[in-house]
Amino acid sequence: MSTFLYLIRRVLQALAVILIVTVATFCLLHALPGGPARGILGPQATVQQIAQFNHEQSLDRPLPVQYVAYLGRLLHGDLGTSYTLNEPVSQLIQERLPKTLVLTLLSAVVGLLLAIPLGMWQAVRRNKPVDYVITTLSFVAYSTPVYFLGLMLVLVFSHVLPWFPAQAPQGDTLAQVFADPAGLVLPVVAGAASVVAVFSRYMRGATLENLSEDYVRTARAGGSRRGAILRRHVFRNSLTPVVAMLGYYVPVLFGGALVVEQLFNYPGMGLLFWTAAQSSDYPVLLGCVLVISVATVVGTLAADVVQRFIDPRVKEGHA
Amino acid sequence: MTATDTTAAATAGTEPVLRLEDLGVTFSSETGDVPAVRGVSLHVRPGETLALVGESGSGKSTVALASIGLLPDNARASGRALLGSTDLVTDVVTASERDLAALRGRAVSMVFQEPATALDPLTRIGAQIAEVVRNHRQIPAKEAGVLAVDLLRRVGIPDPERRARAFPFELSGGQRQRVVIAMAIANDPELLIADEPTTALDVTVQAEILDLLRRLAVESGTGVLLVTHNMGVVADFADRVAVMLQGRIVETGPVEDVLLRPEHEYTRRLLAAVPRLAVAGSPAVPGASDAAARPGAGSGEEAGQASGQASGQESGEGSGAVAAEVPRPRYGTRARSANPARDSGTDGERVVDLRDVSVVYGRRTGAVRALDGVSLHVRPGETVGLVGESGSGKSTAARVALGLIRPTAGTVTLFGSDLRRTRARARRSLRAGIGVVLQDPVASLDARMTVQECVAEPLRVHRRGMSAKDRQEHVAELLERVRLPRAYAQRAPRELSGGQRQRVSLARALALAPRLLVADEPTSALDVSVQEAVLEVISELQEELGFACLFVSHDLAVVQHFAERVVVMRAGRIEEQGGTMDTLLHPGTDYTRRLLAAVPVPDPVRQRQRRTARQAAAAGTGPAAGTAAGTGATA
Repeated sequence: MSTFLYLIRRVLQALAVILIVTVATFCLLHALPGGPARGILGPQATVQQIAQFNHEQSLDRPLPVQYVAYLGRLLHGDLGTSYTLNEPVSQLIQERLPKTLVLTLLSAVVGLLLAIPLGMWQAVRRNKPVDYVITTLSFVAYSTPVYFLGLMLVLVFSHVLPWFPAQAPQGDTLAQVFADPAGLVLPVVAGAASVVAVFSRYMRGATLENLSEDYVRTARAGGSRRGAILRRHVFRNSLTPVVAMLGYYVPVLFGGALVVEQLFNYPGMGLLFWTAAQSSDYPVLLGCVLVISVATVVGTLAADVVQRFIDPRVKEGHA
Repeated sequence: MTATDTTAAATAGTEPVLRLEDLGVTFSSETGDVPAVRGVSLHVRPGETLALVGESGSGKSTVALASIGLLPDNARASGRALLGSTDLVTDVVTASERDLAALRGRAVSMVFQEPATALDPLTRIGAQIAEVVRNHRQIPAKEAGVLAVDLLRRVGIPDPERRARAFPFELSGGQRQRVVIAMAIANDPELLIADEPTTALDVTVQAEILDLLRRLAVESGTGVLLVTHNMGVVADFADRVAVMLQGRIVETGPVEDVLLRPEHEYTRRLLAAVPRLAVAGSPAVPGASDAAARPGAGSGEEAGQASGQASGQESGEGSGAVAAEVPRPRYGTRARSANPARDSGTDGERVVDLRDVSVVYGRRTGAVRALDGVSLHVRPGETVGLVGESGSGKSTAARVALGLIRPTAGTVTLFGSDLRRTRARARRSLRAGIGVVLQDPVASLDARMTVQECVAEPLRVHRRGMSAKDRQEHVAELLERVRLPRAYAQRAPRELSGGQRQRVSLARALALAPRLLVADEPTSALDVSVQEAVLEVISELQEELGFACLFVSHDLAVVQHFAERVVVMRAGRIEEQGGTMDTLLHPGTDYTRRLLAAVPVPDPVRQRQRRTARQAAAAGTGPAAGTAAGTGATA
């Protein structure tokens, strides 16, 4: 199949997935008890006031009708207006998303740059002390809640050792964020920890599997040195399954950002989502979920495309 | 080293390129040390081929790996493995990994069994060959790339400039093996180790690869250590043979001596278990050799049969004396010759009947015809052999017969019922009348079940009313039937050998007293002696229980001895079918003739003649001549 047709098919699939996600989120949000009116109008609000708010926001109409109306606005790029912040959701997301992207991408890149060599090193030194130490640290890093890990980082590297600020860079623009790189260190480390833990495990497994492959023996029989075999053959072959996993890891990264942003008071999308969830701000919540699902779908698509690039067999349908 | 060693070939006198002296290899495992090779001494001279033969577990591959220093980490070698002929001799046993890397690919190189996995799937083949070149020569990448193309040309890859940029998955198995060979000869090694180099390939491809290896060895005077279990390959390729049993060499000598006049009792048994392909027009050297290999072989059966007409049709094969050796029934006592009454009857009862069956995967331009207008049937009590090369559709046809694949067109009648017209429930009960034995003895039994549970499973499904006690008794009887002790019921499959596992599969297949047994390559993964035992059990039970058998195999010799009728398949179509003797002794199509000609027979003298005839035929008829011709066939 040509790459073009493949992409078209994948994009159509992606749209279907996103549609299903919006339906699910829409239903779930409206199934929750309470509702936005009480949160926004306060405990003093009368039943009439609440009814009027619900009517203004069309919240008293049947769910399917509401959903179709929402979808119709969505097609015009209208994500609605936040109940609490009185700003269009699209504008809120436009402001916040880049900052979250910076945080998650940095976490992912830093995490992978550590995880891939660590995993390969572990595989080569399998069942040696290095392997055990890294394995143990991985499990610790993976099983520690991000929230706790972040607090520990602040405690050690901000309070005990005053190396980095405890607060992430403030401000609305990316320029302001990059003006304070030291402030990004602890949030990025907190976000990267689980990436290192998870992907060093993947890389270790994939490398071990490849080291026992016949082609490694062939290369050795041809006089290639161990290091060269690792560099030229094992590395690329081990990377393919890891890349495939990366796409599915996007929502986990966003989930991590939710906590990290809250913890370091970083005004990104995670923080936006967090506050919106507390006041049942439906349009904001829906907008955020939409963005995350798009990011996930794009992430898996990108991973698949990269895989087609690395592994020629994928393209031909041989693998 | 034995006395016979010194008589080897014309190369005697030159220093050996490999000398193993009292080589031992021990594997350390959790349960203690396991000696795999003990006291092995042998040598390989330049230009000669030493075949190391033996059954699985005999240690032959371990010797090969020890000779190139590629033993796994949990293995320890002792003794000496001296590599190199004149100026520089290295002891592989004691050499450092660094020194070994400098030797591998230059002084010694290796060709492996499985071409499908031997190459890095993500690197272009030209680059993989160039890598071996550059491991030992300080030349620019571009120059190495040019050399790689030359090497591809030398190993007979068509259009090498373009193919150098191909990835391994774009090549066929045979071509991949050629690439592995190109890597192996890239730096003109003194010693080439070939570990079952053709075992994973079809016979016609096997013949081409052996021709190629022989030509390359002759051209450059490379010594070859050939590891194989296939006596036909040995007869075709080797100058000398070393027979291994349980980690030791039990017999060494020139190929004619070992294969035709074996001295050791084990060698004799091994050779006797090899199913031999009988062919019309084989020049009259046989008889003696066979009798020697298989003492006690019947005398009257060797009746010569005039088959002048048959050989008249054959252009290339044996122009000399024509004497067809009639193969005797090897498995069981039943006469395997085609029963004319059965053969002529067009109607009558048929256990399974495929009529004009096609199986198509995919649609339109991407459609693949796995089967194309296939009609075949099996009558009660009869064995039909389904033969063909990989991808010919023989397994697909068997699966259609089982009702596992719905044909795109055509009808399948099982025990008189049209499978398309039966409901799912009825189809299930029809299937209870079929037993299945598959190729892989490891994968076809659930590792988490005991033998008892494995064999009892069909009873649980189709005989719900049966009490646990009856079931247990029935399983015990089945195990006895396939000649396994009753006590094995409580064992796990992993505690059994490959042959025992196949018998468990057979017991399971027979649990419901089937009317049809479908056996898909049931002995391909087994050693010859084990294969013989398993086929004998099937044969005897067939006589006793009277089931019909659809026997899928790529091994023409086995089919010849086992089946009454044979169906030859090629690319999803039936090439020809008929009585086994008729079809395989006097094939009606070029394809079958080529298939038969490519099978190496375990007799070096006859094999040499067959090879010459095959190569002459190929040179005369096809474009394949380029790879086959000029291979030093007169060696």
